[in-house]
Amino acid sequence: MRRRASLVLLAFAVFFAALAPLLRWYAYPRLAKIPPSEYQTAVMEASPATLLDYGTMKPRTVPKVSIVQTLRGNVPAAKKVGKATGRDVVVWDTLSYVAGPDGKMVSKIPERYVFDAHSQDPVHAGGEHVDGDAVRRDGIEYKWPFLTEKRDYRYFDAQTRTSAPIHYKGTRNFRGLEVYYFEQTIPWTKVPLPKTMPVDGVTPETVRKAGTSRWYSTKRMFWVEPTTGAPVNGQEIHKEELRGGTLLGDRDRVTVFSGHVKMREDYIRHTVDMVKSQRQLVLMLTAYLPWGFLILGLALLALALLLEARGRAARPPSAPAAPAALSVAGRSV
Amino acid sequence: MRALAAAAIGLAAALTIVLTVTAIGAPSGETSPEPLLTTVPKHP
Repeated sequence: MRRRASLVLLAFAVFFAALAPLLRWYAYPRLAKIPPSEYQTAVMEASPATLLDYGTMKPRTVPKVSIVQTLRGNVPAAKKVGKATGRDVVVWDTLSYVAGPDGKMVSKIPERYVFDAHSQDPVHAGGEHVDGDAVRRDGIEYKWPFLTEKRDYRYFDAQTRTSAPIHYKGTRNFRGLEVYYFEQTIPWTKVPLPKTMPVDGVTPETVRKAGTSRWYSTKRMFWVEPTTGAPVNGQEIHKEELRGGTLLGDRDRVTVFSGHVKMREDYIRHTVDMVKSQRQLVLMLTAYLPWGFLILGLALLALALLLEARGRAARPPSAPAAPAALSVAGRSV
Repeated sequence: MRALAAAAIGLAAALTIVLTVTAIGAPSGETSPEPLLTTVPKHP
């Protein structure tokens, strides 16, 4: 009876001991991924901000400018690109909608971001674009990879349509979460005019014909929860100018927008809560279950050996030894 | 010999479970009917 129990325990010991590395190094890389049907919104505010009044072509200070960001996973497009590339792909259609203090549109920039669901590496298929301009992303955008490392990453800047390093600047504590702080500075760069302008009759074409160009500079900051790779807070010190041409009269530049953009408090709370719960799912596959199963496997193995040893001790000296018991002990007679 | 068989059963069960779960994977779901927002939402 004891021999049978020790064999059953041995089977369970091997089961759990094998499950530990299989979960961590086989199941986790395949199961941890961004779902293709993700839908998320975030609201950021610059309060106060400087905004160009297109009526007078003079900048004015306004109490608040809001930036509404929506990410929507396009499942049919993801399946199509996934089939074509043989990868697990996510396609995000996004919109960054900037609203003035009266709620009226200041700018709106749609994007399509196509990336690997597991690694977050960009996938160059499926019509990736920014404001209708085809782009070829290099690096990440919006989200960091699972198990983010303490190093610099390349981050795609939608305004310049280029990627540049985003620097790891240290580990911080944010609302009870250990986060990695990243910073990227984009120096003054000439950037395309948005396809949709905030004033009727003004188009990118009319601005360009007047010899005026748009320039932009920003310092962006992210607080990233490293297990999920999800930013729990973001800020930007963002400046935009129009430069040159006949539109500006005798001035060589005017401010279009200037402000310190911060995530709205209720969205920070919502994001932190969501990330705290999703973090547990990732930790389950990378730490809790593998370590738990390994310890359980070792404990069961010890118990199996103990039962076997007791069985042998209780056996009368004249009784013949069973071959199976001998192979467990690893001895030959 | 019995011990080896028991260990093999344990290993096979672990492999079967992990391979099955990863092969099934997570459901892809459907594209959200929610719009890309052009107004400032009052709450998340």
